[in-house]
Amino acid sequence: MSQVQKNVVPIVEGLFTWPSDHPRLIGSRCPVCGSVQFPKSSVCNNPECDHSRSPEEVLLSEEGTLYSFDIHAYDLREPFEYHKAPYAIGAVELPEGITILARLTTTKGLRIGMKLRMKVDKLYEDAENIYMTYYFEPVEGGESR
Amino acid sequence: MTESAVVGAEITNWIEAGKPAPTAEVVAGVAIEALRQAGLRPADLDAIISTTSAMPFGHPTFLTTPAQHMGHRLAGKIGSNGLQVINVSGACASAAAAFSIADSMIKSGKARKVLVVGYDNSPRGFYFSFNSYLDTDMAIGYPLKVVGAVNPTYWAMWARRRAYEMGKPVEDIKEVMAIIKEELSKNGALNPHARYKKVFTAKEVLESPVVDDPLHLYMISAVSSGAGAVLLSDMDTAKRLTNKPVKVAASAVGGPLYNEPSPRLTYFTTAGGRRATKPFYEWRKPIEDAYRQAGITAEDVDFAEVHDTSLYHVINWIDQIMGWEREETDKLIRSRQFGRDGRFPVNLSGGTTSFGEAVYAQALMEVYEVFRQLRGEAGERQVRKNAKIGLATAYGAYGSYGAIALERAW
Ligand SMILES: [Zn+2]
Repeated sequence: MSQVQKNVVPIVEGLFTWPSDHPRLIGSRCPVCGSVQFPKSSVCNNPECDHSRSPEEVLLSEEGTLYSFDIHAYDLREPFEYHKAPYAIGAVELPEGITILARLTTTKGLRIGMKLRMKVDKLYEDAENIYMTYYFEPVEGGESR
Repeated sequence: MTESAVVGAEITNWIEAGKPAPTAEVVAGVAIEALRQAGLRPADLDAIISTTSAMPFGHPTFLTTPAQHMGHRLAGKIGSNGLQVINVSGACASAAAAFSIADSMIKSGKARKVLVVGYDNSPRGFYFSFNSYLDTDMAIGYPLKVVGAVNPTYWAMWARRRAYEMGKPVEDIKEVMAIIKEELSKNGALNPHARYKKVFTAKEVLESPVVDDPLHLYMISAVSSGAGAVLLSDMDTAKRLTNKPVKVAASAVGGPLYNEPSPRLTYFTTAGGRRATKPFYEWRKPIEDAYRQAGITAEDVDFAEVHDTSLYHVINWIDQIMGWEREETDKLIRSRQFGRDGRFPVNLSGGTTSFGEAVYAQALMEVYEVFRQLRGEAGERQVRKNAKIGLATAYGAYGSYGAIALERAW
């Protein structure tokens, strides 16, 4: 029997551009007050905003700075058992002024303040699909601000 | 404005979560006991404010279970002449919110005697365990699905960040948390209501497995089941019912702050606005609101019961309540000045670390402890100093928080 070609799909639709050779995180920016959100939202989250116009979709910066991180040491239960310990989760500050959570590509050599770059890679696969998610990866020689 | 007071309080023993239980029976038990302490009957009540969670196990539609309507079920069970019933929720600050509604009803004159009940019996590790729990706006549950973030992930990041901002290695904050555990577990060992009565040494804590580095297993609280009931009345009534009325000096609650710089539980991101200069604005705000309502400052607070789902929470609460610079908080902890004869006693009950968290009842456990301490009824764990004002705090998911200040009124 011939090998069935698996679909390569995002873990969740709408977080990053896909399919793409150069995937980017998708957020939204309010044209009235400039507030940026991730994931994108149809409603501005700034309490001072007059909501005269709705947020627009924007692609977010690919580089950020590590605000803090957790090294998670145990396997999660179903249905999230595909996150295999140990793995690192970072809070990554983007130039847009938001700090977003992301899986980091490594648990080694992490330092608060280090530069990171976004990439999309495989999270896990099952019988039909290969599931992709976004990661942040330390930039070689990237020093803290 | 009418003053309000606490005239009765009762809690169950906190036990392992996830065992099927006759929920209305458990809640009625503590409710009747709180009424009995004040010599009141159900017919004397004007209102019941309830906050409970008890999920049918594995059932995806738990949000519409009878637990949500516990206030009405309780009124039916203990008898009611059609009193006002309100069911509320607000994550870990649920019971603080319920308490605040009761306090406001009395202060506004809408009610004179109000019973607050909280109950939780949720399956262990229930947080975001269901795919069906994923909310369509991608705020809730998705950080777990996409990046594997659990609640302790956020606490670990906060702790690591604090060490970094203080210019200290992460081992330093681990040590501080281990000392807290040793002291709080000694308090818990004296509390008949606490689920864990074992005293943990700091060494044992640091030798327990790392779960979310820098947090070790004994630095995060278990999930428990428990129920609490607190009876409030207006001050005139309180003075007739008891010779030891405890005034509600403040009850503050709140929701997410746009300019909070720290990652907030269950969210992917912080908000995209101008940042507050210091993190944990959402923790400081209920404290500031409570101080303003009560007309007090940090120096007036004699002791506190703080919500400690991780031991990092204890550190953060002391930072916010005392308004010290962080070095002072660490000094207080390292010199072990937060016990019952210390400079600023914290969690004389043993705290969530000794109880495990019964989410919807947790703040009532704290109020119960502050009430007993102020009345000199805390037995072996009674605070040594002549305490006049005690504080109870809560912080949880979605940016939910609260702070309650109780004051001796005799
Ligand atoms: Zn706006």
